[in-house]
Amino acid sequence: MTTAISVRGLSVSYDRKRILSNIYLNLEAGYIYGVLGPNGAGKSTLFKAILGLIEPNAGEIRIVGQPIEKMRKQVVYVPQASEVDWNFPATVLDIVIMGRYPHKKILQRLDEQDRAIAQAALQEVGIEHLQARQIGELSGGQQQRVFLARALCQQADILLLDEPFVGVDATTEEHIIGILHRLAENGKTILVVHHDLSTVGQYFDKIILINQRLIAAGDVATAFTQENIAKAYSSQLPVLHQTGLLE
Amino acid sequence: MHLIEVFQYEWAIRALVASMLVGLMCGVLGCFIVLRNMSLIGDALAHAILPGVVIAFVVVGYSTLGFFVGSVAAGLLAAAGITWIQQNIHTRNDAAIGIVFTAMFSIGVMGISWISKNEGVHLDLKDFLFGNVLGVANQDLYLTAGVAVYVLASVVVFYRYLFISTFQPVVARTMGISVKLIHYFLMLLLSFAVVASLQTVGVILVVAMLITPASTALLLSNHLKTVLVLAGGIGMLCAFSGLLLAIAIETTPGPAMAVTATFFYLVAAFFAPRRGLIFRLLQKRNLRRRILLEDILKQSFRLQEEAGNITEVALLERLTFRSAILRRGLAALRRRGWMERNSLLLTPAGAEQARRLVRAHRLWETYLAHQTGLDAEQVHEEAERYEHLLPEYLLDEVDASLGYPTIDPHGEPIPEKGE
Repeated sequence: MTTAISVRGLSVSYDRKRILSNIYLNLEAGYIYGVLGPNGAGKSTLFKAILGLIEPNAGEIRIVGQPIEKMRKQVVYVPQASEVDWNFPATVLDIVIMGRYPHKKILQRLDEQDRAIAQAALQEVGIEHLQARQIGELSGGQQQRVFLARALCQQADILLLDEPFVGVDATTEEHIIGILHRLAENGKTILVVHHDLSTVGQYFDKIILINQRLIAAGDVATAFTQENIAKAYSSQLPVLHQTGLLE
Repeated sequence: MHLIEVFQYEWAIRALVASMLVGLMCGVLGCFIVLRNMSLIGDALAHAILPGVVIAFVVVGYSTLGFFVGSVAAGLLAAAGITWIQQNIHTRNDAAIGIVFTAMFSIGVMGISWISKNEGVHLDLKDFLFGNVLGVANQDLYLTAGVAVYVLASVVVFYRYLFISTFQPVVARTMGISVKLIHYFLMLLLSFAVVASLQTVGVILVVAMLITPASTALLLSNHLKTVLVLAGGIGMLCAFSGLLLAIAIETTPGPAMAVTATFFYLVAAFFAPRRGLIFRLLQKRNLRRRILLEDILKQSFRLQEEAGNITEVALLERLTFRSAILRRGLAALRRRGWMERNSLLLTPAGAEQARRLVRAHRLWETYLAHQTGLDAEQVHEEAERYEHLLPEYLLDEVDASLGYPTIDPHGEPIPEKGE
């Protein structure tokens, strides 16, 4: 059993506001983790910390025992679709082949092998017929497939997906989760920020339930309990009351 | 002066080459400036180089290289100042840009008038503001050429980095690309381009060469590499035709180039395929016409179904438009072979079209009622619009997901899928 990601005592604050507090996680390779929690629970912040995009106030994160800077090639991030500029002059293939960028040195050109990998990725997500399209001309499901294809093209061992099923049709959702399961079977580690609690049991091997603090982490059967869910999602209420009183 | 004869003179050739180099370089670089929403920064850097010119003049006298170094330093100082304010003081981003560049520009203008008065040298402020391309010396030309080669080579070499850090800075960072470094590198290239354009178009109008050809190219293509090539080409074209225009009507070349650039932009805004105004208008008109024809078709079909015969009066009762429009619509239906030449009966092809419309309408009504719980009247209005827009494959999916219903919420039969 290999540890893909280890998080030790992670705390993050923005403008003196505590977002994540003293998180410990040990994520094993070869599983799909659902990252769950209410809005503002710090799910995206956890991703950003793992990706080394923000400086934590405390704590340490290791990717297979190494700091993120040494493992960039092996960790791929699929951001929320709402953060993408869909009018950008870029075609599907342009985006997918970006997955090869981390494998190239500055003066190295993309070669036949890179293009072959990109084509294989396009085929796997089922959008090879759309590769010349501008990204804004696609449906929500197709757009999400483009970014999954880019992640596949990067051939990383760890995938972080931020709400990949928002605005996506049911067929695409099934297709994507199928691909993720296959990746996990091949030893990849996958983290998915997810909102639909009804599909958790179907989609994920393990879950990470957070709300600023770590509520529970582990197998769906043992960690995804009524009690834990209530703990994670109800804590928003007292906080709201407090701020209401303070104002 | 005669236009062709002018190019016997060396100064005219120099002006032409310098202008086209500036057009090419600014056009290409401008694409990234526009895509990063940095147009205002481009304008700011251009204005902010003026004090650099003044200081260089005081230190080393009238020297092209001196002006170049001084200007680039001033440009980078402005960029750093703007970023510093944005990150450390609670002033809005565009306000920070405005504060820095107007201050630096004003200091530059005061410096130039001070030099003219006290150093006994006449520096013409107008040359800095609007350029003086007809006075380009060989030395200036070499500098412009060197800068253009450097800027274009940088864009080619760092294309991947510029592309991804412009499109998705966060993802670029996860790939280990220093987005900040790219940003400052772009600022450096921008200062280079601005300084090299100083003599051609001047500080006030260089932003036109940066953003107008780039915006024009962005209307014409969806592919970044094509956009870059187009923008460079359009930039050169603007410089070339602007210079000719200026010589022909004896005006300052800088503004003439900016006006030409705007002209090409307007042409693209109106006539560009897909994104142009006229194309979109035509598309809208075609859609309206199609909806009109389809409405007539559908009502004829239903009249035939219900009453067995069709009259213009009965059709008009069911449609909302005047008889003149109906007649034109009927003529168009006959041209397409959807209606009999000498009666109001539909041909088999027309009936098939109408059946598809009725199917779309009733399927969509059923779907809406099923999914949203809207009442029958509301779903009818929605379906009136969407029956014209839903493609066949979507309808089939709707049909399947509803379990192939046979009647709609009004109790009317839904036609089966045609052959």
